[in-house]
Amino acid sequence: MTKRYVLVHDENKCIGCQACNVACRSENNVPESVTRIQVRIEGPHGNFPNLHFKYNRVSCEQCENAPCVKVCPTGAAYVADDGIVSINEKKCVGCLYCVAACPYKVRFINPDTKVPDKCDFCKKTRLARGESPACVSVCPTDALCFGDANDPQSEVSQLLDTKTNYQQKANLGTQPRVYRIPSRKGGIKA
Amino acid sequence: MNNIWGSMEQYDPVVWNWIIAVYLFMAGLSAGSMLVAIGLKWYKQSRGLPTEGLPVVKAAAVIAPVSICLGMALLVLDLTKPFEFYHILLNYNLTSVMAWGVIALLVYIPLVFVFAGLVFEEPIRRCVPALNGVLKVCRSLEGSLNKLIFALALCVGVYTGFLLSAMISYPILNTAVLPALFLASALSAGSAGNILVATLFFSKKESDCIEQVHRIEYPVAFNEALCLVLLFVGLNFSGPAAQAATSAITSGAWASVFWLGVVGLGLVVPLSASLFAPQSWKHSKGFLVTVSCSTILGVLALRHFVVYAGQSYIS
Repeated sequence: MTKRYVLVHDENKCIGCQACNVACRSENNVPESVTRIQVRIEGPHGNFPNLHFKYNRVSCEQCENAPCVKVCPTGAAYVADDGIVSINEKKCVGCLYCVAACPYKVRFINPDTKVPDKCDFCKKTRLARGESPACVSVCPTDALCFGDANDPQSEVSQLLDTKTNYQQKANLGTQPRVYRIPSRKGGIKA
Repeated sequence: MNNIWGSMEQYDPVVWNWIIAVYLFMAGLSAGSMLVAIGLKWYKQSRGLPTEGLPVVKAAAVIAPVSICLGMALLVLDLTKPFEFYHILLNYNLTSVMAWGVIALLVYIPLVFVFAGLVFEEPIRRCVPALNGVLKVCRSLEGSLNKLIFALALCVGVYTGFLLSAMISYPILNTAVLPALFLASALSAGSAGNILVATLFFSKKESDCIEQVHRIEYPVAFNEALCLVLLFVGLNFSGPAAQAATSAITSGAWASVFWLGVVGLGLVVPLSASLFAPQSWKHSKGFLVTVSCSTILGVLALRHFVVYAGQSYIS
C-alpha cells in the first residue's frame, strides 16, 4: 500500500511557543527573512472568564488536489510518489503562479534560490532517514503527530478516527493533509 | 509590536503586480486590434469592397506585433529567474492555463508578424528583396492565415481571463465572467488603439473606415458593462467571502480606480462622446485621439483594478 503522510495539529495541546518554527528554520536552512511555518496566536476569543486563544498553524497543507500543482505551467510543482507536494527547482522559471494560486498563502520565494519554497515534511533530510519532521520532533507538548494515514495502526489514524478534527478551507476541494483537532472552547472556524 | 511568530511580509496576498496588469493589457490590445482589423477586412470583402491599404488595418499591423512583444518582454523580466524562461517553452503541464497561453502565443506571435508583413508588403519588398519568396507564399495562404490569426487572437484575449480565474481562492478572479470581460475590454482597447494609430499616422481622409470601427463600440461597451454588473452581482450571491469582496468597488483606493478609470474613462466618456458630441467634431483628429486615449486608459485601469483588487480579497 502506498503511503499517505499526514500531519495532525492538536490546537488544545499547542501553546504557540514557536519551537516548531525555529526547528524548521535550522533543519531546512530557511533564510532569515522568510519562513516555512508559523503558529499564529489569535484571540483572545470568548468572554471573561471563558477566554481562549486559537493557535493557528500556517504551513503547506500538502493538498491532495493541490491548486499550485494544477496551475504550474512547467510541472515544476508536482506531487511526488510519496504524496508530498514538491518543487523541481530546475524546471521552475519563477512565474509566481503557484504562489498566487495557493489558497493558504504558504508559498514564498526563497531569496537564495529564487524558487518558491515551502514545507515538505523535511522529506529530503529527516523523512529520508526515517525520522519525523523537525517540528514534530521538537514540539514540547506533543501537539503535532505525523505519520501514514493509510496504516490503520498508525498514531495519526487512531487520532483521526477518535478525535473531532477539521481541515482548513475544505470548501475549496483541495483536500489538505494537515488535520487540526479544534480547541475544546468556542466554535470551529475552518 | 512584533509578532512572536515572525514577519508577515511574505504573506501579502498581492503576488502579481502592475507588471502583470500591463502585460494583460498589452496582450488584450494586441488580440483586440487583430480581431477588429481582420473583422473589418472580412466585412469589406463580403460587400465586394477593396481591402488594400485600409488605415485601420495598417494600424493593427503596427499595434499587434509591437504590443504583444513589449508585453512578453515585461513578462519575462518579471520572472524570478528571467534567464531560465526557456524552460516554459520546453515543459508543458496541460492542466495549467499558462501552458495553454504559451502554446497559443507561440503560434500567434509569428503570425502577427506575417500579417504585418503582408500589410506592408510593398515597402518590405523594396527594402529586403530577399523576402520576396516568403511573402509570395504567405500571400497565397492569406485567407487561411487570417482565419487562424482570428482564432488565435480570440484565444489570447480569453486566456488572460482564464489565467486569473483559475486561482480558486480569490473570489473576484475565480469567476466565469472574467474571460468574457477581458475579451470585451480587449476589443474596446483594440478598436480604440486602431483608431488612434490610424488617425495619427495612416489616415488621409480623417474618417477612413473609422466609421465601421465605431459601429462595434456600442455592443462592445454594452458587453463590458454587462460583465462588470454580472461580476459584482454574482459575488453578492456567492457566500460570505465573495460578498466581502464586493467592497472592492465601494471602499479603498481601488474603488476610485474602478469608478473613475474603468467606468468613467473606459465607458462613460467614450459613450457620451459618441452620443452627445456635435456632428462637426466627430471626425476631427483631436476628438478621435482624445476619445480613443480615454478608452485605452479605461482598459488599462480595468486590468490594474482586476489584478490588485482581485488579489486583495481572499476567501
